[in-house]
Amino acid sequence: MLEIQTIKKSFGKNTVLDGVNLKIKKGDVVVVLGPSGSGKTTLLRCINFLEKADEGKAIFGDIQVDLHKASKKQISTIRKRTAFVFQNYNLFNNKTALENVTEGLIIGRGIPKEKANKMGKEALDKVGLSEKYNAYPSELSGGQQQRVGIARAVVLNPDIILFDEPTSALDPELVGEVLEVMKTIAKEGTTMLVVTHEMSFAKDVANRVIFMDGGVVVEEGAPKEFFENPKEERTQRFLRRVLPEDYIYNI
Amino acid sequence: MSNGLDFGFLIDTFFIALSGVPVAMIITIVSLVIALPLGFLLALTRINKMPILNQFSRVYVSFVRGTPVIVQIFIIYNSVPLLLASIFEKYNIQMDVYDVNPIWYALIVFSLNTTATLIEVFRSAINTVSKGQLEAAYSVGLTTVQAFTRIIIPQTLVVALPNLCNATVNLIKATSLGYAMSLPEITLKAQVAANASYNYIEAYIDIFIIYLIICSLVEFLFKRMEKRLRKYKIAPAA
Repeated sequence: MLEIQTIKKSFGKNTVLDGVNLKIKKGDVVVVLGPSGSGKTTLLRCINFLEKADEGKAIFGDIQVDLHKASKKQISTIRKRTAFVFQNYNLFNNKTALENVTEGLIIGRGIPKEKANKMGKEALDKVGLSEKYNAYPSELSGGQQQRVGIARAVVLNPDIILFDEPTSALDPELVGEVLEVMKTIAKEGTTMLVVTHEMSFAKDVANRVIFMDGGVVVEEGAPKEFFENPKEERTQRFLRRVLPEDYIYNI
Repeated sequence: MSNGLDFGFLIDTFFIALSGVPVAMIITIVSLVIALPLGFLLALTRINKMPILNQFSRVYVSFVRGTPVIVQIFIIYNSVPLLLASIFEKYNIQMDVYDVNPIWYALIVFSLNTTATLIEVFRSAINTVSKGQLEAAYSVGLTTVQAFTRIIIPQTLVVALPNLCNATVNLIKATSLGYAMSLPEITLKAQVAANASYNYIEAYIDIFIIYLIICSLVEFLFKRMEKRLRKYKIAPAA
């Protein structure tokens, strides 16, 4: 459904993405792992045109887009089919939880307000925030804010949701509630591309894991295979560092 | 000659000076209407480091900020008529440049001046709204204009409001310098009334009170607006 071909991106002399290819099928939950600076976040941002790639192609169902010179119209089409969940939530601070969720529906898609409100409430119910429709972001905890962020993405019913380290900015205590919500929507068949450091999520929820380093995909595979039997030396080193020893051998 | 204050004159002149309020208000409001969008846009060119416009804004701000308003008034008031005269002559327009109502010059000076102030006000305010919210707006399908009018500007305004209030009050007070180009505003009217009888102190007290009332009113209005607009900001737990 989504295919990314040889995407490249440099910031000045620093090459962040050096020809990454990626294929995602409908219903896939793909987790991207890798050390900081490996280009994971940039990959996501380039797909959604928050960053302009230097080179590369995206094939999105029946549309083909050059990531470097996409027209405004193409960008808008791709953005309509994708949704983004940010590391720092990036909620609209001047809007309530419900307004945050309905903004894209009403303004972006022109859906009538009443219908949008109904959809927005359903989305907020799904992430467990039925009590917080009218709360402003400043009244919500980090975990709640991120759940609003997820509802804002889910409500658009996109072909794919891009998660950019959705739990990295959270208190450890609040990580669980966000991962739980992500699990729920994954089970519903939502296609997801998730950059995260949560190994447990990768193991339990993903059906494919991609390991990136230095702007390239080093290894990819099913989570079981990937965690139990990593082939590349670089992957093994990474996993040894992020997982307790026995984890690797005793799954 | 001094027999204390002449209260009759004080009260009469108060109303004469009051009749200059509309002129002062027109200049204030028109200048703000011109300077608000212009200042905002030029602030954006500074933040986004747009070539040429960015440098232009920077130089413009330093020029206006680095010179007294009264000098700016003298320059505009004396140079524009010369310019106009040569244009009129060239195109054979039968009009005396010295008949031009000084309010036009005042509008030019104060609009230019306020724009410079507001560039700096908005520049600091826009930076307080995270870029992430703009990205989020894009990601849910808003256009740049929609993102700005619905997300960025409302928040920018709240942050900028105290400084906008400051700028407005300064602008109202600065209109008093309009007397230098015989603009019939508050100060000039009172002064003219006092010229006849030399009751300057009464006239100055009147002016003093009028500016005080206007500026307090403006401050009050801004406070209310701020309170209403910042409802989404919850006071940090006390």
